[in-house]
Amino acid sequence: MQSIIETLLIGLSNGAVYALISLALVLVWRSTRVVNFAQAGQAMIATYVGFEIASRSQVFWLAVLFAIVAGALIGAGVDYFFMRVLFKHATEGPAAVVAPVIATLGLLGVIRAVVGLIWSSEYRLIEPPVSRNGYTIGETTIPFSPLNTLIIVTVCIVLIVISIIFRRTNLGLALRASAYAPEIAQLAGVRTAQTRTIGWAIAGGIGGIAGMLVSSENYLSPYSLDLLLVFGFIAAVIGGLESMVGAVVGALLLGVLLSLVLNVFGTSATFTSAFLILILVLLFKPDGIVASRKGRRA
Amino acid sequence: MESLLQGRGAVRKRLLFFILLGWALLIVGDRVSNVRLFQGAEIAMFTIALASIVLLTGYSGQVSLGSGAIMAVGGYAAALTITNLQTPIWFAFLMAVLVSATFGAVLGAAAARLSGPYLAGTTLALAVGVPALANQFNFLGGEQGIFFDVGFPPERFGSDFSQDKWFFWISSFLALVSIFITSNILKSRFGRTWQAIRANSLAAELAGIHANRMKILAFTLSSALAGLAGAVLGMNLSLVAPGAYPLSLSFALVTGAVLAGISSLPGVMLGAVILVAIPEIADLVAGGLGDSEKVTTHLPGLIVSVLLIISVIFTPNGPGENIRRILHKKSAH
Repeated sequence: MQSIIETLLIGLSNGAVYALISLALVLVWRSTRVVNFAQAGQAMIATYVGFEIASRSQVFWLAVLFAIVAGALIGAGVDYFFMRVLFKHATEGPAAVVAPVIATLGLLGVIRAVVGLIWSSEYRLIEPPVSRNGYTIGETTIPFSPLNTLIIVTVCIVLIVISIIFRRTNLGLALRASAYAPEIAQLAGVRTAQTRTIGWAIAGGIGGIAGMLVSSENYLSPYSLDLLLVFGFIAAVIGGLESMVGAVVGALLLGVLLSLVLNVFGTSATFTSAFLILILVLLFKPDGIVASRKGRRA
Repeated sequence: MESLLQGRGAVRKRLLFFILLGWALLIVGDRVSNVRLFQGAEIAMFTIALASIVLLTGYSGQVSLGSGAIMAVGGYAAALTITNLQTPIWFAFLMAVLVSATFGAVLGAAAARLSGPYLAGTTLALAVGVPALANQFNFLGGEQGIFFDVGFPPERFGSDFSQDKWFFWISSFLALVSIFITSNILKSRFGRTWQAIRANSLAAELAGIHANRMKILAFTLSSALAGLAGAVLGMNLSLVAPGAYPLSLSFALVTGAVLAGISSLPGVMLGAVILVAIPEIADLVAGGLGDSEKVTTHLPGLIVSVLLIISVIFTPNGPGENIRRILHKKSAH
């Protein structure tokens, strides 16, 4: 039985990683009205790129940089070469509503298979710059490690950078405008299509960081990020799927709750309770805990 | 009730067709090898599973990415019944249908309130999580799973009646019965009501349809079919384990349904044949590429997903619709 503070800290560290994925999902959802199930796949390719760099150069941060760039390029590519084509073709008939969802699912499948073909299903591990072993206080070792500290600090930096981009720059203004009122933004001279692609790139880059952080704590395999996608989605729904603040708050909350559940009931209850949280939020607070002005539009 | 549903003649004609189809399968089953029989049983299993997606997505307009999870529920229900209670085979399948239908009804009650992406995400979470649950509880047998033994074929069929043929018979029989029932439901008032809800749920409500109630019904029936398919899958493998119901199974099913035309019930058999053929084709290609373990594991997934993307972009409503449109254009000129 850990002390309550250790449990909370571990929960925050896990929640910080969920926050990145749920932020990426929310960014894409706001601009494109698609929950991008391929987000985990994109993050996975970026992470494998990072893994290659890390194992050659032994420099963790260089690898993270490459993962961010790779993730951003893939994100932009997916929007430019894939989503645009999709929206041109699948516009009518009984399948039009489900087509985007199914298409991102197909993309996830392609990415999983391609990653498997290139890197095989072997488990890999990215060596972090700091220790994975917990801090030792006096004579007891607690589960919270320097790596967890690193994760929390990194995520904080990412969140600060993102909020500066969105609040203080013209790009951020354009991103927000084309998400909330695409037609008005277009009339005001914003190139909404290009802005959307940039939004996808930012989401992809964030996904790359998330993948690197998770895979330096746990093993990396073509399937290792599935659960991250699910938890990121649940976090985004807790936050209302529209709000970036909501996504982060939802993720931290989910991380702490799951950490508490893990501590009290053991691993078998983790997924069940995550699913239960999702269902409860959807039934009783479908707009999320952070109320957005418009509510959900889908 | 009968007159409310549809004309008796139509039902009789369909019944006759299915009996003839069953008879044809019986004859074919006597003339092919055991490998083909096994694949035939797989096709029958996929046919049932795809029918469940056509009913749910094609008719009532709800997306489910979690068919694999519901199949797992059905499979485990049947296997636990037959292992612990030593019941006859038919009872195990009945339990699979009942348990998964109950599961589906509970899930459907939540799902009926959700729109597109929320429902897709929730069911995806199911597909990732439910098979993994088996690892956590002892009575579910963990990663190794539990045996699903329906026993040897009855002795009156003779000694050269193979196990594969027995599986083929059971699977085909269940597929025929469930497709017959499903096609009648889809052609009935219920089918039309679901289509109305999918097209415009507000207008449907104004016309006096309880949209939520009908959506839950669709989810329940679809889960019953998926659960049956899961039990058939378990029987064919003689085992139910988390590995038998992976996330890629759910992906493959969505692909099969989209390929065959998501609102076309006759298409499901074609979709099922394609799904069974893909690993065969992948094996051939992998053999040409040097037969490494990497290629054989991941190539089928690649083919399935590429097919899914191509079909969802170019023929989102099934190839039938595109052919109709081309014919229509030609006749207009």
